Amino acid sequence: MIRNWVGFYTLSSREILRFFTVWKQTIIPGVVTTLLYIFVFGVALEDRITEIDGISYKMYILPGLLMMNVITNAVANTASSMLQMKLLQTLPELLITPLSSLELSLSFIIGGTVRGFVNGILILLICIMVGMEIRDPVSTVFIIFIVAWSFSSLGLFIGQMSDSWDQLSLIQNFVLTPLSFLGGIFYSVAMLPEWGLAISKVNPVFYTINSLRYATIGVSDAPFSSSMVFIVLFSLLLTTLAVKTMESGKKIRF
Amino acid sequence: MSDTAIKIINLHKKYEDGIYAVQGIDLLIKKGEFYGLLGPNGAGKSTTINAITSLVKPTKGSITVFNKDIVSDFRYTRSKIGIAPQEISNDWFFSVEQLLYFQAGFYGIERKNAKERIEYILHKVGLYDHKDKKMRQLSGGMKRRLQIARALVTDPEILILDEPTAGVDVALRHDLWDFLQQLHKGGKTILLTTHYIDEAELLCERVGIINHGKLIAEDTVPNLKSSINKSKLEDVFLELTGRTLND
Repeated sequence: MIRNWVGFYTLSSREILRFFTVWKQTIIPGVVTTLLYIFVFGVALEDRITEIDGISYKMYILPGLLMMNVITNAVANTASSMLQMKLLQTLPELLITPLSSLELSLSFIIGGTVRGFVNGILILLICIMVGMEIRDPVSTVFIIFIVAWSFSSLGLFIGQMSDSWDQLSLIQNFVLTPLSFLGGIFYSVAMLPEWGLAISKVNPVFYTINSLRYATIGVSDAPFSSSMVFIVLFSLLLTTLAVKTMESGKKIRF
Repeated sequence: MSDTAIKIINLHKKYEDGIYAVQGIDLLIKKGEFYGLLGPNGAGKSTTINAITSLVKPTKGSITVFNKDIVSDFRYTRSKIGIAPQEISNDWFFSVEQLLYFQAGFYGIERKNAKERIEYILHKVGLYDHKDKKMRQLSGGMKRRLQIARALVTDPEILILDEPTAGVDVALRHDLWDFLQQLHKGGKTILLTTHYIDEAELLCERVGIINHGKLIAEDTVPNLKSSINKSKLEDVFLELTGRTLND
C-alpha cells in the first residue's frame, strides 16, 4: 500500500521530467521512425501490397507501428533509468529513503508509462493525419495506456537485472524487436504457415497489436475480447514481476 | 525518544562471493554522540553503514534505530537518518537545487515546506551560487558538498558520513569540520568513517576500530591512547590493526 504519497509523487515526477528534459532523444526519434516506416512500407509498397482484410496496406500497418513505438519507449524508459541509476551510483541514495518497494516500483513504472503513452498518442495523431478513422477511441486510448504500463513494468525488471548497457541492448535487440516484428506489425498472421501461427499465438505482442488494430480499423487476427483479457492479465503479471523483483532487492541490495 | 540512536547486535555479513565482510559486530551509539568508525580498507566500515541504511542485508544480527527495527519499521528508521555515501553519485539530468527538492520529497517533505531548508543548506555548504548547475558542472569538492547537503536537507537526527572529506581540499575540510561540530552541538548524532585519523581525533567523542570485520577496540580517544600508552590516535590505530593506513 502506498503511504509516502509525497515521496511517490516526487519520484514519479522525477521520472517523467527525466525523459522530458531529453525530449530530442525520447520523443522525436519515435515520431521520425514511424514516419519513415509509413513512407517506406506504406507508401512505397502500397502499389505491390494493395490491401489486407479489405484495408489498405498503409492503414493496416499503422496500429502495429504505433504499438511498436509504445513498447520500445516504455521499456527503454524504465530499463535505462534503472540501469543508469545503478551505474551512476544514484540508486543507493534512492533505496535508503523511506519509500517502499511498491512505491519505488510504481513510480518508475509511471515514468515509463507516460513516455510510452505520450509517444503512442503522438503516433495516433499522425495516423489520424494520414487518414485513419478511429473506430473505438476509448478502447484505443486504454490499449495504448495498458500496453505502455505492461512494458514499462517489463523494462523495470530488465533494468534491475542488467549489469551493463550491453546486456540491456541484447534483450532489446534479440527479444523485444523480434517479438514486435513477429507480432504481425507488417502482415496478418493468417498469411503464415501453421507453425508460424502457433508461435504468434504465444507472443504477447501479437495480442497488443491485434487488440489495437481492432479498436482502430476494425480488423484483427484474434478475437478482441480474448486479446483484451490477455493484455490485462499480462499487465498484472508484469507489474507483479517488477514489484516482487524490487522487493527481493536482487542486484540492487547486497 | 530513546537515548540509544543506533544499536547493532551481533551483525554478520557474508557476501555471495563467500567473503565475510562483518563478523559479529556489536555497536551502540548514543543519541547526540559523535562516533567515529575507523578501519583499514575492506575492514567492514561501509558494510556496517550500509547495513544500518538497509542497502546491505545482514546474514545475521539485528539493527535498531531509536529502538525501532530497520526492517519492520523502515519508514521511521530511514526518516531519522541522513547519509552522505563514500561513492559520489552523478545525476546527469537535474540541477543542484532540483536534486535537493527531490531528496526532500522522497522523505515526504512537500516542496513549499522544503524551500527555506534548501536555501539554508545551500548557503551552509557554499553551493548557493551553484544551485542552478548540473552535477557534471561541479568540481569534485562541490560534489562532495552536495552529498552532505542531500544528507542534511531533511534535517535528520542521525547523520552518517562515509569518508566525507575524501578528495576535499584543506580549507574546505576545515570548513566542514566546523560545520559538523556546529551540527553536533545542535544535538545531531553523527557517525563518521574516515581515513584521516586526525579528523576522528578532533571530532569524535568515541571511536571504534574495525579490522577484518570485527570491532577490535572502542572507547574515547584519550582512553584509547592511554590504554596502549600512545600519544597519537594514529599510533593506536596502527598498533591495533597491525597495518598501514594504505593497506
